[in-house]
Amino acid sequence: MKNVLDRNKNKANEVRNLLKEKGVLMVNMISSPGAGKTTLLEKTLGKLKDRYKLAVIEGDIATDRDAQRLKDHGVPIVVINTEGGCHLDSHSISKVLPEFDLDNLDVIFVENVGNLVCPSHFDLGETFKLALVSTTEGDDKPIKYPMLFREAKVILLNKIDLIEYTNFNKSSFNKDLNNVNGKVPLLEISCTQNIGMEKWYDWIINQIISK
Amino acid sequence: MHELKIAEELIGIIIEVAESENLKKVTKVNIQFGKMIQIVPDIFEFVFESAVKGTLAKNAKLKLEILPVVFVCNKCKEEAEIDDLFFVCPRCGSNDLELIQGRETIIESIEGEKNTNSQKLIAKA
Repeated sequence: MKNVLDRNKNKANEVRNLLKEKGVLMVNMISSPGAGKTTLLEKTLGKLKDRYKLAVIEGDIATDRDAQRLKDHGVPIVVINTEGGCHLDSHSISKVLPEFDLDNLDVIFVENVGNLVCPSHFDLGETFKLALVSTTEGDDKPIKYPMLFREAKVILLNKIDLIEYTNFNKSSFNKDLNNVNGKVPLLEISCTQNIGMEKWYDWIINQIISK
Repeated sequence: MHELKIAEELIGIIIEVAESENLKKVTKVNIQFGKMIQIVPDIFEFVFESAVKGTLAKNAKLKLEILPVVFVCNKCKEEAEIDDLFFVCPRCGSNDLELIQGRETIIESIEGEKNTNSQKLIAKA
């Protein structure tokens, strides 16, 4: 018996071993379009770039608009245009890694293509997956996309400042999330209003320290 | 649409196996996906048919089986199958579960005809 995704898995393991050897943490950021991945990155780069050596891989179906938003931070950014593809894979990551000076990096943030289904099935060789959801998307995401919420090491619930304008039911969200993955930490944040961000920075710094 | 990428990977493996087994054509592919992979069979069959065009698997029949999610409860050791993707042990209510089935993307076997004669061959992938 053969695994259909063996090729992706093998390349992902190569990437993972290389990053481990170089002491680089890779965060695979997965969310719907518009949940706030790029804004989260803008804030996180701004906060951590003086303390740690950071880099970004921007996965986008087309354009380099997200990369343009991040370039003022002066960290190395590589764009992967999937040209219609709805997720990144380990081969595309492996191809761009030589563009970074891995001996001189602490973290690579990978902004995956906005999509909750497909990216969760393709191992990139990341250290862990991060799932970002926002209150404006509705509270039913954990139960509809169990693979992602099961696999993520941390869940960020963004746009918490807007919750009163939506029909997002927090107790229903928490209950579903608890049923899909009872162990994963959930951080409530608002990137634009700087709510809960210190907890997120503490969490990611902890991951960097213990990498 | 991760179906497309998975179908492309599958066809890559079919062609590799067909070449190494010296097949002139592939007649059937037996494949299993875990329910967690969230493959839509109709979409997968459609993209598979489109992607095998022009290859020696162009007339291959696809047999696709979706495997249910099965877990072992870390608390009471119950082994159970779940339908609704609510990860709660039906025996003790715990959500501390170890998935033992449901994330597979397996090629069980590839069937075809040998180049040398028309003898039927089932290659265990």
